[in-house]
Amino acid sequence: MSEPRDKDEKKKDAPLKPDETSRREFLGGAGLSVTAAALSGAGALLSGSDEAEAKATWGEWFQKNYRLMTEDEKREAVLRLEKRYTEEFGKKTTVDSAPAQEGVLFGYALNIQKCIGCRRCVYACVKENNQSRDNPEIQWIRVLKMEKGNFLAENMDKGYPDPAGIQVGGNAYQNSGVVLEGEHYYEPAEVPEKGHFYFPMQCMQCEKPPCVKVCPVRTTYRDPDGIVVIDYNWCIGCRMCIAACPYWARRFNWGEPNLPAEEMNPVTHYLGNRPRMKGVAEKCTFCLQRTRQGRYTACVEVCPVGARKFGNLLDPNSEVRKILDKKKVFRLKAELNTYPKFFYFMD
Amino acid sequence: MRKTALAMLASFTAVLLLAPALHAEDTYIHYLKNKQEPADCFESRDGYSNVTRTEAEPGLPNVKCSNKTGGVLWWGDPFDGTEPMGEMPVEADYTHEEAVVKPRTGQLKYYMPCTACHNGSMVPYPKDKNPRPLAMHQDIVPDSMNLQHGQGAIWCLDCHNARNRDTLIDHRGGEISLNQPQRLCGKCHGEVYSDWRDGIHGKRIGGWDKGGKKRWWVCTECHNPHTVQEKRYDPIAPEPRPQYPRTRANADHERGHGAGH
Repeated sequence: MSEPRDKDEKKKDAPLKPDETSRREFLGGAGLSVTAAALSGAGALLSGSDEAEAKATWGEWFQKNYRLMTEDEKREAVLRLEKRYTEEFGKKTTVDSAPAQEGVLFGYALNIQKCIGCRRCVYACVKENNQSRDNPEIQWIRVLKMEKGNFLAENMDKGYPDPAGIQVGGNAYQNSGVVLEGEHYYEPAEVPEKGHFYFPMQCMQCEKPPCVKVCPVRTTYRDPDGIVVIDYNWCIGCRMCIAACPYWARRFNWGEPNLPAEEMNPVTHYLGNRPRMKGVAEKCTFCLQRTRQGRYTACVEVCPVGARKFGNLLDPNSEVRKILDKKKVFRLKAELNTYPKFFYFMD
Repeated sequence: MRKTALAMLASFTAVLLLAPALHAEDTYIHYLKNKQEPADCFESRDGYSNVTRTEAEPGLPNVKCSNKTGGVLWWGDPFDGTEPMGEMPVEADYTHEEAVVKPRTGQLKYYMPCTACHNGSMVPYPKDKNPRPLAMHQDIVPDSMNLQHGQGAIWCLDCHNARNRDTLIDHRGGEISLNQPQRLCGKCHGEVYSDWRDGIHGKRIGGWDKGGKKRWWVCTECHNPHTVQEKRYDPIAPEPRPQYPRTRANADHERGHGAGH
């Protein structure tokens, strides 16, 4: 675990106490401070010191990967974190450790025709999931503005030195359809804008997630309800998962996360929205702190046009299953065989 | 030589002056710091359905609002101010689902109630069913002789109940509460109505789980029935854009890739 997030600048600039060194530094470095840290942590533990921070740090260094922990170890880790966050943010914080429900496989559907690009989902997600607000700014959802295009067959062979025809598979010099690839920094006075549609992207919770495949420490894995989760404590920050994800769905904490105490959401889950530390990857978990309690995700609840749908893929009467039955559905980059559980649909 | 140096100095000063502005402006933290979160949020469209911030649990608000647009950004208690859907039959396996809606009459601009004026003596009941220009409510329907919704096929009293203006009217002359406009809209828009019942069209919040309590959003919480022909959904202001990448001051690197990219 990293050093505590002190919002006080003076404290931030002060040198770290030895027992506040992160686990990564502890594992990676072989400096004197590391030895001192281990000793002081051990000292605090052995002397029965009441200092919560020392105990928490010591405990977190030596805890196992979350999915290898016994129930008792999980309970200990959760209590440790609850105590720490409650102190740090000055409000009663709960850390849930609810496992996946049986007979549930989460699926998501998004009506690409309805989305107006208002970005409320982006900020609802930030508020719900305790992302860093600024420097680094972290957002799990990105909304791309796309140009509505017209594909013109007569433009297919334009621009070639010789009439090459349709067999060459398109036109290298002039677009026959959409010109713009999509931008996400758009900021008009009002949305939706004429001639555009919007394409929100977030973690697709793949059935065969490339990010899980490449993780060298197996800190990220797929739970039985289909959610790809991260044990932030075990993450070494190598960013292999970010490189492997074809959907631009993972974010990296390049700096100490900036989460104002009054903005912090105290209802958290160990694998979901608990405050993160510097140097770990993070991503959408379909708000598992909510959805494992039977509630909709924050982005579904906030979408003003109802473009976002969520439910159990194993329940034939769920909204997502009805959409799969009745609507025109596609998945992003289906050719990669990642089998996303995030479906885009049209009326 | 000296000119170049001066120009360089000038541009350097400009960069110095501009740099903090470019970094800080319009970012989310800027809104966080400089604008108070409003006490009231609107749910879908400003002016149609507002929600007042209260405490759902100690320390937890029922909603959090956007500092920029004032829209709801977070739901702590989605059932605040709702009532059971009532007469609305729920199809499929969700018969045991507890469906709630938010009453519309409290949110309507002219509902005080309607029969306060349209009681037969003050504004007499119409003698026949022939359309005529509106004397009032022109802010809602500017030209009643040219109503866009239905494109000439329908007029006011095909939806509004002439005998009891507090209600809407179905095909058989039965009364429909203004809190349940879906029963009226479904008269013509059967396919959308079917999707709405399946939870595909429109918005629901609360629980995804079978049998869970859910708030259903009715048609007029998103669509303005009098202007729906021109705008299915009134445009709203978007939330702030993401911050530009660290070394960029604008989004030019994203634009204009065009052909050959």
